[in-house]
Amino acid sequence: MAWVTDFAPTTSELDTCIDCGLCLPVCPTFRVTGDESASPRGRIAAMRAVDRGLIGVDDRFAEVMDLCLQCRACEVACPSLVQFGRMMEGARAEVTAQLPDWKAFATRTVFGRAIASRSAVVLLSWMVGVAQRAHVTGVLPGAVGKVTALRRVPLPVPTTAGHEWLPDGEPVGTVAFLAGCVMDQWYSDVHVAVIQVLRTAGYRVVAPPNQTCCGALAAHEGAAYDAAKMAARNVDAFAGYDLVVVDSAGCSAHMKGYGHWAAGGADLAERVVDANEFIAALIDEGSLPKVSEGKVPIAIQDPCHLRHAQRIVDEPRSILRAAGYAPVEIDPAGMCCGAAGAYQLSHPEMSDELGVRKAVQVEAAGLPRVASANPGCEMQLKTFLADGIDVVHPIEVYWDSVARHK
Amino acid sequence: MTTLRSVTRELFERMRDETVEIDAEFVVAPSSLEEAAAVLAAASAAAIPVSFYGAGTRRDDGGTAPADVVVTSNRLNRIVDWKPDDLTVTVEAGVAIETLESEIVARRQTAVLPETAVGATIGGVIAAGISGYRRLRYGPTRDRVLQVRVATGYGKVVSGGSPVVKSSTGYGLPRLFTGSLGSLGMIGTVTLKLWSQPLTAATVEIGDAAAALQGIYRPLAVLETSEGSFVYLGGAESQIASQVRRVGGDPHPGLIWPEPITGPLRIEFRVSAPFVPAAIERAKHLGASRWIAEHGIGRVEAGLDDVDAEDFAAARTWAESTGGVLVVTADAGTGIDRWGTPPASIEIQRRIKAVFDPAGICNPGIMPGGM
Amino acid sequence: MRWGYDDGMDLAARLIELLGATRVHTHPIDRLIYAKDSGVSSGDPAIVVLPETTEEVAAIVRMAAGADMPIVARGAGTGLAGGAVPASGSVLVVLTRMNAIYDVDEIGRTAWVGPGVINLDLSDALVDQDLHFAPDPSSQQSSTIGGNVGTNAGGPHCLAEGSTIAHVLGVEIVTVDGDIMVLGGAAPDPPGYDLRGLIVGSEGTLGIVTRVLVRLTENPPDVVTMLISFDGIGDAARTVSDIIGSGLVPAALEMMDGPMIEAVENFVHAGLPVGAGAVLLAEVVGHPAGIAAEADLIREIAVANAATDIRTATDEDERALLWKGRKSAFGAVAQAAPDYYLNDTVVPRTRFVEVLDEICAIADRYDLRLLNVFHAGDGNFHPLISFDASEQGMSEKVVAASHEMVHAAIAAGGTLSGEHGIGIEKRDLMSRVFSVDDLDAQARVREAFDPEGLLNPGKILPEGSRCFDRPAT
Repeated sequence: MAWVTDFAPTTSELDTCIDCGLCLPVCPTFRVTGDESASPRGRIAAMRAVDRGLIGVDDRFAEVMDLCLQCRACEVACPSLVQFGRMMEGARAEVTAQLPDWKAFATRTVFGRAIASRSAVVLLSWMVGVAQRAHVTGVLPGAVGKVTALRRVPLPVPTTAGHEWLPDGEPVGTVAFLAGCVMDQWYSDVHVAVIQVLRTAGYRVVAPPNQTCCGALAAHEGAAYDAAKMAARNVDAFAGYDLVVVDSAGCSAHMKGYGHWAAGGADLAERVVDANEFIAALIDEGSLPKVSEGKVPIAIQDPCHLRHAQRIVDEPRSILRAAGYAPVEIDPAGMCCGAAGAYQLSHPEMSDELGVRKAVQVEAAGLPRVASANPGCEMQLKTFLADGIDVVHPIEVYWDSVARHK
Repeated sequence: MTTLRSVTRELFERMRDETVEIDAEFVVAPSSLEEAAAVLAAASAAAIPVSFYGAGTRRDDGGTAPADVVVTSNRLNRIVDWKPDDLTVTVEAGVAIETLESEIVARRQTAVLPETAVGATIGGVIAAGISGYRRLRYGPTRDRVLQVRVATGYGKVVSGGSPVVKSSTGYGLPRLFTGSLGSLGMIGTVTLKLWSQPLTAATVEIGDAAAALQGIYRPLAVLETSEGSFVYLGGAESQIASQVRRVGGDPHPGLIWPEPITGPLRIEFRVSAPFVPAAIERAKHLGASRWIAEHGIGRVEAGLDDVDAEDFAAARTWAESTGGVLVVTADAGTGIDRWGTPPASIEIQRRIKAVFDPAGICNPGIMPGGM
Repeated sequence: MRWGYDDGMDLAARLIELLGATRVHTHPIDRLIYAKDSGVSSGDPAIVVLPETTEEVAAIVRMAAGADMPIVARGAGTGLAGGAVPASGSVLVVLTRMNAIYDVDEIGRTAWVGPGVINLDLSDALVDQDLHFAPDPSSQQSSTIGGNVGTNAGGPHCLAEGSTIAHVLGVEIVTVDGDIMVLGGAAPDPPGYDLRGLIVGSEGTLGIVTRVLVRLTENPPDVVTMLISFDGIGDAARTVSDIIGSGLVPAALEMMDGPMIEAVENFVHAGLPVGAGAVLLAEVVGHPAGIAAEADLIREIAVANAATDIRTATDEDERALLWKGRKSAFGAVAQAAPDYYLNDTVVPRTRFVEVLDEICAIADRYDLRLLNVFHAGDGNFHPLISFDASEQGMSEKVVAASHEMVHAAIAAGGTLSGEHGIGIEKRDLMSRVFSVDDLDAQARVREAFDPEGLLNPGKILPEGSRCFDRPAT
């Protein structure tokens, strides 16, 4: 039996690839290895081989699929408009379904179940917060040690879902807000900044109480059925809101693809907007101020799920400019920094290699500050950057400037 | 050659050429490449050494093997097909380069053949692999040989390459035969890529040739000679004027090339371009009376009255240490080894020679390593 | 040289010992992943290896030849003629990891590079020196210099600059005997036969290229890029003929027809004129004073041939976008149908218009969807038939039509391939342009390098090209 789930790459999806190879150079794992089996085209060839019944889903197939960062840079390079990210999620679902080992079980438990449970996440975050204060994170083994690069988790652990914020005056409108799974606890400052900026623009911000994790990590890790459940729950939770603002690139990218995941998902997908694009548009139309206090150069790094998955490139830059900064490009190709969610735990070698490469690019700019609009990238950058280089979020930077000039 | 079979002798007699005076038992002038192939087939069968004769401009250069049969390209002298709108021309080997250039100049075109190889034939120039000074702008001759028709040493007519300006169809026989010095067979017909001549051209005498090369966008040539340094420019008038302002110096209209280096003893440094100034110094040290150096190319040609064997050996060692060579283009009967150390690929080269000239009759010994 | 082994280890184990397990693949999935390039043919390698040094390549070749296994070199696998399709049971030598750029000589304008260096990466790395590598195949963002050497790759700018052959001064190769040698070099006209000139375009059949000495080209002081629209493809084709006939050789002169414009625009969003019958992308480079006049001449000729619009790129970004459109053309056709078949014929430029008419007529006669993209200035056609191979009898129909198109080009004095090479795809058409004696001569070249035919067998020359049996070794 070739495929066993409803999520498998379809023959017609696979047929959109004509093997031109224009994706190869933008693929980080191909760049590192030079190995076709670590390239988008090679991965599609492997999927195709299963689809045609030439091979089965075995350990080597799993290995080939698992090395993919799912950064989706290949989609931007593809003149045939191949939906690679979608197919890879399907292939991962197949691996989980067909090779039910301890890893699949663990993946399902962590990214499919625990992450969807607010109490589990709060418990984990609390443990991290305590560990940070006890200065014991440094002794954690391997890639888990990257937790040292995490921002300090506030204690008690905050939660956003179920809250609502009003602007100072009459609201110009209402937007729903995705609390997310760990953003709430681990990057609450970003949430605060986004919500304050939205209030400044006159919006009422509502974080519906029954929402859950967007399911991106579950989808990426092959826990497809769990991802579908989470998507369905969010379709219900966000019903009735015209706009859903999401401030983590991985989440906004995934939710814009909800059409694949739940009934009514396509409708919600239409209403999802990434915080960067929403706020940049508000600045552009004059609903938010442009602070002009000189042009302080700042390096900028693009999260893959913003740049590649959503093609949001100019927006974080215009937000930085509005905050009085002059963004400096460090990598015209926008290659993945290697964080890639759980990837840094599952593939520490590749993740570290890419992290080092990215750090070299940032350091080459010779600037004390780099802006990155994604928590995963921030952690990765902090791990590999030399001391003395700050990693900041464009919207936080913007809110700082706005608040200072109020 | 008394052992020649009568049919072979008859074949040679039938094509005997009376116009060329060379000391050889037979001078034959085939009127088609098929006839040339028949000569080579017969010579191969009888193991008779053969050499080839174009216009004889390099005849005294000491590079010609002694042969009993000399095949001339006298009667292969047609411009077969000039396609001016396609910028290509197909021409037989015996056509003199001035004949071709003066014909195609009617449409302001040029085959970019050597500017000062007076009297030489197309076949001779290509067999010798000689390029003109304008190779700096248009590339070497071998880049413009699109197709060849040759008679191989084993006596077959073979066509290689394609008659169009761009091809990746099969092995590069045109390049293999360009510069093969008649050691694989005889070149009969070639198709060449042409260029339009620039609207105007100028020759500017300058002080520092190396600096001029780095400072100007794509000059036609930059020469440093015993008589002075010159930049050759082509293009629209305003373009030339602005480039002249950059390099300084007085422009003379047209392309005024240096007198070719003649004389019984001539050498050529072929080194990578950055070594040109050093090669000029070496040539002077060897006692060069005249020299012409091509900046950006790496060829330094020099004429000598005589040469000290030790000095020459030292210069050759130096040239080879830079990855280049010092070759003798006319040895004045000194018997100096023409090529120096054979290339690293000599074994494959020998195998190439062996498959195209299995009997070893085509200009034996003319190539490096005594091939 | 043949190595006799008696320690019972098989070749894969030996290669793993040499390279480590991550650089040797034998799993069926990997063999399928490496079964093909960008063309339509596929093969089945026994072992895939990824060496990092010339010495490793030499050791691999000695081991594989010792086991009498065919040896096939591969770069990024973007070839369109099947040149890197591995022979059954072969050792596939993937050279992508050999991607260092060494020894850039700014004065002499040369550089030694590994065969795995990506074409565009090389030019990008030379920006500060104001130099670039002139051959720019449409695959240049992915294809490797080694692959470019193998196919004698072209590209739009080869119109004025010449194909890869004109930009490769020397190569280091590993011979089938496992010997390492340099052919050619930075010095002009090296004595002896131009073996470098044979290696370029030989598709890995004469040796494995492990380093390349490339000639670098200075960046032009000024560039004018124009996108010229026409209602009909004939008008565009006549414009091309008239430009070349005027004696002007632009830096590039590219053409796309209506269906291709639409497919490309859908991806690139460059504001291409969807609905136009054809566009020409014309570029002139050089001294500002010179190219202004050249650009005017092109505009004048275009207008005389009923051009409907002439857009001139105003900055580097716009120029890059127009070129991206042109260079993504092959990939973009998959939007129309899942399969495509592509030719690479070249005709004398004077015959361009009539051959184009004929190609279109052939497609009509077979009722096939044809998209056209050409290196028009070179007379290099890329008629592209877009189809669905799962339709009954479709593949046969496409091949038949495609062969007719090839014959039309050859009948007009053209040739099989301008830049993709012969590989497997065009191998059996070689006898259409070469006589038995011609093919025999080419087979002799191959024999001189590789008497037993272990290097990339089954490519370029049809079976039986050599007129007599090979001598026993």
